[in-house]
Amino acid sequence: MKLKILAGIAALILAPLASAQGERIAVFTKNQTNPFFQVLRMGADSAAKQMGATTTHLIPTKPDSIPEQMSLIDDVVIKKPSAIVFTPVDIKAMVPGIQKINAAGIPVVNVNDRAEGGKFVAFVGSSDHALGVVTGRYLLQALGGKGNVIIIEGVKGSGASAERVRGFQDALKEFPQVKLLASQPGNFQRLQALQVMENLMQTHAQIDGVMAANDSMASGVIEALEGANRKAQVIGINGTKEAVDAIKAGKLLATGDYNGYLQGCISTMAAIRELRKLPVPKEVIFPPTVVHKGNYQPLDVPLESRSCPKWEEVVKS
Amino acid sequence: MSTLAQKIHLAPEQRSLLLRLVVLLLIGTGLALVSSAFLGANNLLNLLRQASLVFLLASGLTLVILCGGLDLSIGANVAMSACLAATVMKATGSPLAGCAAGLASGLLVGGVNGLLVTRVRVPPFIATYGTLWILHGLTYWFMAGDTIHGFPPAFRFLGSGYWLGVPVPVFLMIGVLALGTLFLQYTTMGQEIYATGSNTEAAALSGVPVLNRRLLVYMLSGGMAGLASLVFLARLNSAEGDMGEALTLQAVGAVLIGGTSLFGGTGTLAGTLVGALVLTVVLNGMNLLAISANWQPLITGVIVIVSVAADALSRRRSGD
Repeated sequence: MKLKILAGIAALILAPLASAQGERIAVFTKNQTNPFFQVLRMGADSAAKQMGATTTHLIPTKPDSIPEQMSLIDDVVIKKPSAIVFTPVDIKAMVPGIQKINAAGIPVVNVNDRAEGGKFVAFVGSSDHALGVVTGRYLLQALGGKGNVIIIEGVKGSGASAERVRGFQDALKEFPQVKLLASQPGNFQRLQALQVMENLMQTHAQIDGVMAANDSMASGVIEALEGANRKAQVIGINGTKEAVDAIKAGKLLATGDYNGYLQGCISTMAAIRELRKLPVPKEVIFPPTVVHKGNYQPLDVPLESRSCPKWEEVVKS
Repeated sequence: MSTLAQKIHLAPEQRSLLLRLVVLLLIGTGLALVSSAFLGANNLLNLLRQASLVFLLASGLTLVILCGGLDLSIGANVAMSACLAATVMKATGSPLAGCAAGLASGLLVGGVNGLLVTRVRVPPFIATYGTLWILHGLTYWFMAGDTIHGFPPAFRFLGSGYWLGVPVPVFLMIGVLALGTLFLQYTTMGQEIYATGSNTEAAALSGVPVLNRRLLVYMLSGGMAGLASLVFLARLNSAEGDMGEALTLQAVGAVLIGGTSLFGGTGTLAGTLVGALVLTVVLNGMNLLAISANWQPLITGVIVIVSVAADALSRRRSGD
């Protein structure tokens, strides 16, 4: 009896210490193939390390698979991590999964794609629409507000693609002298974007600019242009290493960056802060940035050598 | 009498290829009427180059399906072989070493598939579906979301170069078509592949080494995936883990649209070329006509069905 009380007192004393150390954060991302999520995961790892917590990554083996992410949730609810950082593979279809996490009482932070339901500690992300607008605007300004442009869309039905394309279109409205020749789907795939661009060059003799909804497609477009010995200004979105290299080489005009690394950092920090009863805002939205030849240097470092900034530097209360 | 019977027996295959060709020409004529760019020499070369990528991958698969099997791992094989070739090329600086790595990786995967099907007796669908996952897993893990890009011009010639004004992949396509057709129609081994596919037991009873022919077609399919991976890599100038994902279904589509039976025994490489062209022409036409992304999947589906419907209906009428 005495022993039990002693153990109880010890537990009470040690509890805050234990909770301040070694929280286990389960991080859900959409796939292993998109470099963006690789960067986000490294941000999450860096944040956890800084704060003395650990991460496990839960990633569907089939990219963006709804049933797989569902069964990953079933597993995680049993294993009960301290908190969850969650990117839904589908903003609607994953809502029942999020409700399962809520029912299990595990605090969860939503990152990157904003889920349409479920209860979250916070949302950390950026706006694909705003990203489309500023990156598109950068291209149209570089063209001097005139000329012919093409939009290469992502996967039809993907929220990110629809929002980015809407952003491109809104940027176009600011430049009435620019003509939109075509808006065709490249499904976020390099090969398809290359072939679509090859096809479009057959009907359009003069193409001055191309807005691609991600960097892989922008690279495909550049290959198509080079193959045909033609020139146009090209922009992509994602701020990938490959895009930065292409900007350095003068092949890509710019890429819209929504700070995958920072999203990983801040979402994981938010989860840990929630567990430590520190204040967390309901929403952290990063402003979109356009990476171009004048400002790419900070992104041109090996990922391994990057580390998260302090919470207070990013989240102003 | 026997020669006449043989002629009648052969007729359905040739008629089916002819009907598909007619449908392709009709689609082409329709597009030429509405888009002035379609029949331009540039666009035709562009179409052939795009079709050649699908064809190279689908040609090996044609042999597998002819032989009564299936290879679902080709897309994943392309991704892994391309990533491996890219890594070796970057490490050694030698395009030849990179090509050797890509081809070897493709062949190895084909060999494993073949052994699983013939020696372990795993059904082809399961065996190659299993290797698909294993290859994806290995590639994703190895690449960790990275992209390898920027290869020497000597290597890039394979995918984006021209010779006598014609894209290099088109020559590869013609070469594979010619050699493959000669092999299938005029060698004992080729005929044994047809025999194995149409009636395995009868073929085995008449002395065809059925298991070895099956092993051979899987190795050829893997080898062609290895070759295709090099052409893709040279064309795209970059390798990433998910580059093969959309390819398998497209290749299966090209083979089946081209008239090869999923049950084995009937079909030709020329048919597969027609199948690859149908898929390429549809995308090309939709881009030229600037058809909205909303309608593209629907139109693709309708044209795929229409392209084989004429043949299917004529078979029904003649009671085949």
